Amino acid sequence: MARLNARAITAGLVLAILALIVLAPMAGLLNLSGIPGYEPGDLRFWESGYIRRVLFFSLWQALLSMLCSVLPAILVARAFASQADFPLRGLLLRLFALPLVVPAVVAVMGVVSVYGSGGWLPLGRSLYGLNGILLAHVFFNLPLAVRLLLPQWQTIPPHHWQLGEQLGMNAWQRWRFLEWPALREALPGVMLLVFMLCLTSFAVVLTLGGGPKSTTLEVAIYQSLRFDFDPARAVVLALLQLSICTLVAILTLRLQRLPEVEITLVSPSKPIVVRQNLLNTLLILAAGVFVAMPLLSMLIDALGGPLWQVIGTTRLWRSLVTTLFIGLFAALFSVAAGWFLLQYSASLSLAGKTSKAHLVDLAGSIVYVVPPLVIGSGLFVLLSPHFDVFAWVYPIVIAINAVMGLPFVIRSLGPALRQNHARYHYLCQSLALQGWNRFRYLEWPLLRRPLGLAAALVAALAMGDLGVIALFGTPHSATLPLLIYQQLGAYMIPHATVTALLLLLLSLTVFWGLERAIGGKTDA
Amino acid sequence: MYMVLRFLSGTLLALLLSFVAQAASPTLVVYTYDSFTSEWGPGPQVKAAFEAQCACSLELVGLEDGVSMLNRLKLEGGNTRADLLLGIDTSLTAEARASGLFEAHRITMQKSSLPQPWQDDLFLPYDYGYFAFVYNKELLEIPPTSLRQLVADEEGPTILIQDPRTSTPGLGLLLWIKKVFGDESDQAWTRLSKRIVTVSKGWSEAYGLFLKGEADMVLSYTTSPAYHLIAEQDARFAAARFSEGHYQQIEVAGLVRSSQQKQLARDFLEFMLSDSFQSIIPTTNWMYPATLARAELPADFDQLIDPSPALLLNEELVASKRKSWVDDWLEVMSR
Repeated sequence: MARLNARAITAGLVLAILALIVLAPMAGLLNLSGIPGYEPGDLRFWESGYIRRVLFFSLWQALLSMLCSVLPAILVARAFASQADFPLRGLLLRLFALPLVVPAVVAVMGVVSVYGSGGWLPLGRSLYGLNGILLAHVFFNLPLAVRLLLPQWQTIPPHHWQLGEQLGMNAWQRWRFLEWPALREALPGVMLLVFMLCLTSFAVVLTLGGGPKSTTLEVAIYQSLRFDFDPARAVVLALLQLSICTLVAILTLRLQRLPEVEITLVSPSKPIVVRQNLLNTLLILAAGVFVAMPLLSMLIDALGGPLWQVIGTTRLWRSLVTTLFIGLFAALFSVAAGWFLLQYSASLSLAGKTSKAHLVDLAGSIVYVVPPLVIGSGLFVLLSPHFDVFAWVYPIVIAINAVMGLPFVIRSLGPALRQNHARYHYLCQSLALQGWNRFRYLEWPLLRRPLGLAAALVAALAMGDLGVIALFGTPHSATLPLLIYQQLGAYMIPHATVTALLLLLLSLTVFWGLERAIGGKTDA
Repeated sequence: MYMVLRFLSGTLLALLLSFVAQAASPTLVVYTYDSFTSEWGPGPQVKAAFEAQCACSLELVGLEDGVSMLNRLKLEGGNTRADLLLGIDTSLTAEARASGLFEAHRITMQKSSLPQPWQDDLFLPYDYGYFAFVYNKELLEIPPTSLRQLVADEEGPTILIQDPRTSTPGLGLLLWIKKVFGDESDQAWTRLSKRIVTVSKGWSEAYGLFLKGEADMVLSYTTSPAYHLIAEQDARFAAARFSEGHYQQIEVAGLVRSSQQKQLARDFLEFMLSDSFQSIIPTTNWMYPATLARAELPADFDQLIDPSPALLLNEELVASKRKSWVDDWLEVMSR
């Protein structure tokens, strides 16, 4: 019981910090007064046809994008799981982490290079509209969903496969009785994460959506806080977005069913090879080509650009170090925070307090939908009377990115940690294995792989972030995404493509490095 | 692992030291937009030139754009570190004036190359430009010659524009159409909307899509072709000259009321109007400098179109109507 209390305290601390970073800024903005020329506008957003339209469109496109990303991702992940010796499998899976790091503006260019009127698969004007939005969102999220779902196949114990073989199960029966139950644990969470990512999409939706018909709530929040300078309205809209997501999260996570964990010491290993190799190979190839095409077009653009001119500047290397620094620290804090939350929720669910466990997960899962612009401006209001905020740009940017990365940690680490806890908790208790020793001898060896994936995902996300750093201004050193944006703004589009390539290479290296250093040598 | 830790702590230390390093001699803090401070913007040269004469250090803080700067200043109120704001434009000056955060500059402009006389006790212009539709001469042989023709011709060129809710040029086009079409603006937008390929968040996205060949024309500046001419020796691009004239954007700077170093700030404003600042502008900000005569501009600027007459709506009118005009635009474009 003492352990549960210690867990509750650390998790409570994490939740308190989370609330402080997310809710305090909103309170700060709502509380604004005495700003010259600021009169809070009409807050009755439900009477505004504009907001109703925007809300409907946001939800609709997010739902469609989520389905178009996650459903194929299940098939692709399954194909990857069954093709353990597929050539270049490791490289492909790392490639699948790249879309996450690409700043929206660069991704839009990549998508247009492939599907635009002068592209390889021209869609012409019909690209702009729902087509373009879906293409870009699937490009971003299908690979992410594959990465997050794939480990579920490894949780199926080998003797289940053997049993299936002995019983003469066909592919459908194997799916129904072996794979689906394992998938059900992670699937709702992944669906929720992808839904949130698409819901808050901004530049992609606006630019590829063809016009103001395609406006998300995020755009309306941005508009309120910037052009209309109405912080109260921005906060109300942000709260609206947060409550909708909470609702969606509660509904989605209800679908989550935790599989019964067997108390067994057999470590999970490669699944038995599933047949239908040709179909699986085709699926992997199709997904690979879909993800690779926009990236390849960026590569080609960059190689034709002023490569040496860009690489030769010290500013670029400074930006690279800053970007790396922000990415790694955000990953460190995010993974640590997620770890404590998940430990608590795992012990709650083992104690039978499932709904409480869900609540803890939920808190960590939905913070992503609070727009960084709102958090940033609010923090600014709260901190600037007391600190020189500019001297604290990096810590603030790291903190916000760590918070934004938390849902990724919960999704990638959660299922494995929960299973591990259920499987070994009582054993640990009987061996009096706790604290650091428990981490060192039990959790680290068994969880280092999902830990590596979680850290790599957050690092990639933070390194590709533009919103937060652009908000605070850059007295010293820009990050690579900001540098790309500066180059684009100065007509230097060929230079920007080279910088974008370097950002991709950096994140590929970091992803590979983190997965290797933390996750160990085995391939994902 | 040890190596990684050592590398990280080294980086952390270097960053911490860089915070400490800024001290001594007075520092003048200027909020501006990000592309001003970038390596290719005017920032680095302006900083070097001013520091050579002021015995101070000039800190240029790059924020997203003019709107962000003004909002930041409002949020900070009296606590701001900014002595000057550089880079808000004439569609924002009324709002900035109403904020009461600025102080009179008390400087008279000795010379000006603006098409209109400048009288403003709070803000001083440093450059200006005109919105225009830019096209590739090899791909579009006969561009429209007026805004009315662009709007009316259903077989006309396809265009890329920016969203007035998120971008300055986007707002510029909204005002341009308002100025030319007045009460018939909604109808004009309806006609035009069929040939709008997309409405992007910012200038960069639209211009990037244009260079990829996604549309015949893109909303940009009359001076955009100068970049391609001078920096890339590429003469394919031109701005279409419209007979009604082109909507103007004047970028200004203002002195922040709470500044503790008003003398130094005024020195900077004087410097901003001087030739050494002004001559940096054309090939870094790609705009017309506010006090340099046409003859003093780089030779290739002669090849740019003559945008006259300059169109500009009264700043008070823009400030009071902007929101409802944007709402109307949304209504028309969402149909």
